[in-house]
Amino acid sequence: MTVLVVQLLTGIAGASALFLVAAGLTVIFGVTRVVNFSHGSLTMLGAYVAWSVVTRLPHTPAGFALGVILAALALAVLGAGLEVVLLRRLYRAPELLQLLATFGVVLIVQDTTQAIWGAEDLPLARPHWMRSFVAIGTERFPFYDLVLIAAGPLVLGALWLLLHRTRFGTLVRAATQDRDMVAALGVDQRVLFTAVFALGAGLAGLGGALALPDGSANLQIDLSVITDAFVVVVVGGLGSLPGAYLASLLIGVLQALGILLIPKLTLVIAFAVMAAVLVLRPQGLLGGTASTPRESAAPPLVRPAAPVLRAAGLALLAALIAAPLVVGPFALTVLGEALTALLFAASLHFMMGPGGMPSFGHAAWFGLGAYGAALAVHALAWPLPAALVAAPLVAGAAALAFGGFVVRLSGVYLAMLTLAFAQIVWAVALQWSDLTGGDDGILGLWPRGILARPHAFYWLTLGVAVAATLLLRRALYAPFGYALRGARDSTLRAEAIGLPTARLRLVAFAIAGAAAGLSGGLSAFAKGSVFPTYVAIGRSVDALLMVLLGGVQTMTGPIVGALAYTGLYDTLLLVTSAWRLVLGLAVVALVLAFPQGIAGAAQRLWRGRMA
Amino acid sequence: MLKVEGLHSYYGRAHVLQAVGFTLGTGEVMVLLGRNGAGKSTVMKSLIGLLRPRGGRILFRSTDVTGWEPHRIARHGMGYVPEERRIFADLTVAENLAVGRRPPRPGLPAWTEERLFALFPNLGRMRSRAGGRMSGGEQQMLTIARTLMGNPLLVLLDEPSEGLSPLIVEQMAHAVRALKGAGVTVLLAEQNFHFAAHVADRAAVIESGRIVWSGTMAALLADEAVRAAHLQV
Amino acid sequence: MTVLAAEGLRRSFAGVAAVRGVSFAVAAGEMLALIGPNGAGKSTCFNMLSGQLRPDGGRVRLDGRDITGLAPRRIWRLGVGRTFQITATFASMTVRENVQMALLSHRHDIWRMWCAARTRHVAAAMALLDPLGLAAQADVAAGVLAYGDLKRLELAMALANEPRLLLMDEPTAGMAPAERSALMRLVRAHAAVRGIAVLFTEHDMDIVFGTADRILVLHQGSVIATGDGAAIRADARVREVYLGSGETSGGH
Repeated sequence: MTVLVVQLLTGIAGASALFLVAAGLTVIFGVTRVVNFSHGSLTMLGAYVAWSVVTRLPHTPAGFALGVILAALALAVLGAGLEVVLLRRLYRAPELLQLLATFGVVLIVQDTTQAIWGAEDLPLARPHWMRSFVAIGTERFPFYDLVLIAAGPLVLGALWLLLHRTRFGTLVRAATQDRDMVAALGVDQRVLFTAVFALGAGLAGLGGALALPDGSANLQIDLSVITDAFVVVVVGGLGSLPGAYLASLLIGVLQALGILLIPKLTLVIAFAVMAAVLVLRPQGLLGGTASTPRESAAPPLVRPAAPVLRAAGLALLAALIAAPLVVGPFALTVLGEALTALLFAASLHFMMGPGGMPSFGHAAWFGLGAYGAALAVHALAWPLPAALVAAPLVAGAAALAFGGFVVRLSGVYLAMLTLAFAQIVWAVALQWSDLTGGDDGILGLWPRGILARPHAFYWLTLGVAVAATLLLRRALYAPFGYALRGARDSTLRAEAIGLPTARLRLVAFAIAGAAAGLSGGLSAFAKGSVFPTYVAIGRSVDALLMVLLGGVQTMTGPIVGALAYTGLYDTLLLVTSAWRLVLGLAVVALVLAFPQGIAGAAQRLWRGRMA
Repeated sequence: MLKVEGLHSYYGRAHVLQAVGFTLGTGEVMVLLGRNGAGKSTVMKSLIGLLRPRGGRILFRSTDVTGWEPHRIARHGMGYVPEERRIFADLTVAENLAVGRRPPRPGLPAWTEERLFALFPNLGRMRSRAGGRMSGGEQQMLTIARTLMGNPLLVLLDEPSEGLSPLIVEQMAHAVRALKGAGVTVLLAEQNFHFAAHVADRAAVIESGRIVWSGTMAALLADEAVRAAHLQV
Repeated sequence: MTVLAAEGLRRSFAGVAAVRGVSFAVAAGEMLALIGPNGAGKSTCFNMLSGQLRPDGGRVRLDGRDITGLAPRRIWRLGVGRTFQITATFASMTVRENVQMALLSHRHDIWRMWCAARTRHVAAAMALLDPLGLAAQADVAAGVLAYGDLKRLELAMALANEPRLLLMDEPTAGMAPAERSALMRLVRAHAAVRGIAVLFTEHDMDIVFGTADRILVLHQGSVIATGDGAAIRADARVREVYLGSGETSGGH
């Protein structure tokens, strides 16, 4: 019994640090409507700064407290700087581009942190007072965890008072609903936004610093924290602080108890909870109905490709067909990868652009296709072509089954549910080692016979990827694509003229899943192996970057984006070790320069010249 | 109070305002008449700074405020009541008013909650109700009261009668006359000619982003030809 | 002949009754105006008729058939066209494509994935746009249309289904006075020729008294008066809760 109580308390302690980070995320989102992907990076910096400060201060409780506060303040200042330099310029940009820019910040912070503090984990040498215990029944419970348990409600209470009992709080809550109106009433929103961002960043830093003694300052914090914090915010309901606290408690406790009961499932508990909550209560535990953002620019018309563009496309295709006769095997591999990426990006664009369903977990379908093809060869001994047919079928069927839950949601909630599913697939791939080989993956999938020749496999890749991409494009110009776009533009109107919006979205979701699965299948044979990384978050982010860089509202966007991204990435890997820093800076610069994506900007330029 | 010269504004590529000019004297109530899409709201948004004009000048209280940020223009004494009643739905009536509160202007009586509740008795009875749980008419009154909390010298009222029942429109008319009585200058954008005729001293007709007629309300009422040509009333 | 019949419709939100037992009928070719103060329950009534909201109690019948609680898209297929208070159109399509979309849906074409949508039902779409004065704007993006034109576009989409019943929520809001009466004359002509029943809400009393055959006044979720223009104008209770003195609404 006491074991259970202690485990419960451990869970609550873990929940506190998570809550601080999530509270910062939700406050920032509430006011600025920016989904701040770099929030985990701020937490990570909080941990590093705290490490540097605390190790230099006396090893007393007071010294530690001072160090934590200084770290939080430092991050608040840094957050204010980030707002002034970058985010301020992005408030009018589409939500997903803001996400992209903050992801650029993640990359920059990664390399910068490594340059300053090194690649090694930095654990905090715990002083004596921190190692003391209190007795609970027959068990001992760490004193420091009690401190953490208290921190959560204390910060929640302080934030509540700040938001409900001060003028600053009233203005923040008003700006959450209508920032232009607040400005028209004489409030300087720039000061308000910078202050809110500083507050949120400070909370992230505080969370990172407080979690330091139980772990270490390390370079993995950013992505692990941001996904957990997103989960908490979404489960609690976007913008709701009490919701975030409740959600972090729920997840913290379930995780702590989960370790006791079913250790294998710990990786998926948070995401399973999120999936369950979103299916039952789409707006999160304490979330109200999300207010629609005002004055979002009308999506542009979709026209058939201009003759020039068509000619350029044909020329490119001809060049790609002829490529094996000109370039060497390495370049051919790179081209093959780009083509696979092209189909992957096109499949995400299909659901995200015209379908209006952004996904943070598109890797799920890519991975399911890859594993489906791999297992067809490995376990069923199917030939490659049959396995390539199996890939989209497996992924498409899974997308169809899972899509029923997804298509009822929209926006960030929808994106997070897809992420949850991807994480569950990832965990299964990692832990069901009898079937998937776990971390070791499935090897030896090289094409045989005539396809073993690089030229032949390249042409197969080219044919499959281009044909599938063009089919997707064709469907978007067909009545189905129009109906899908109609459902996105105005669900109300679509239903009022008889369009079954949920079914349209579901079919689009399944098609996108199948196409991504096909891309995964191609990738499995190109690499000769599959690993759980095929389903990891990084892969989903790749797809997002490609689509957003290209421009989500143009039909040519995914093509341009995929080619630009893989080109940039491969070049960077060749020339520099600080590729994250350069890529991050490039992403930020591209977003600032082309808020409509590359293809979108080109389109505007083109139409502007014609007009 | 306000002098607008050759104002040009764009939405993206669309050239919405084309050399709009007019003047507004202290204490006057002037109405901009015109159909939806003629540019009335664009004039309002350009004046308060939510839309940055690309040409022309806005002189407000003898200061050139062209290109200023909205909060600076508001602090200089311009109040803006948008169309669509953009109240803060999750905030109570009292909190909505608190957002609008600014220091009083020297030499002028300040608007207080008490004075506003005397003007809009309904609001006083629902001080702690969330803005989102009020009817359309009550919300419209709240937006006006919220703007008055900033002690503006000029109030821009964008279609205050839109979507309101005749009885509430009548109460709006009383409120506008009360503002005038308190010495506040009012610029009104309206489509409801009956309402406008009731409250305005002067009128300007805007069509496709240009002022095509301006003069006193009495002159407009007398000139059937102008009304038929531009307003079809 | 009765096209639409509402029988004892009720609906509450979070325990607060918005509509409490509303009954009425609209005949083929008839124009019925639904008026009342803001918050009287007009939009709630509308949304129950077209399926956006499910009633807590009561029945909705279309040509005698019970359609209570059906999804909006099923109600549309049975012949109910609707325009919205805040216009809802497809911003990423042209004016013609919006109407084509309605026609594609009407003719069960939407699952086609191969043929180009732009070339389908072009003539039929133009035939709907032309009488509404939108033919010249057929290739303009709906997202940049002026408000009055959007209202007309919504009407064209609602008519694409050859409806039995038109539900119009504030059909003339945002239009110039002359445009308002022209649009309502057009609706009236359509209704008379094709035997369409029309139910509309409106705050412009010139329009209400000028075009409605019959008027229904809603107050706090209940019908407090029905009758023709003269009867409604003379009703003391309607004056008290809704019309007022008439001094700012054109003397009605």
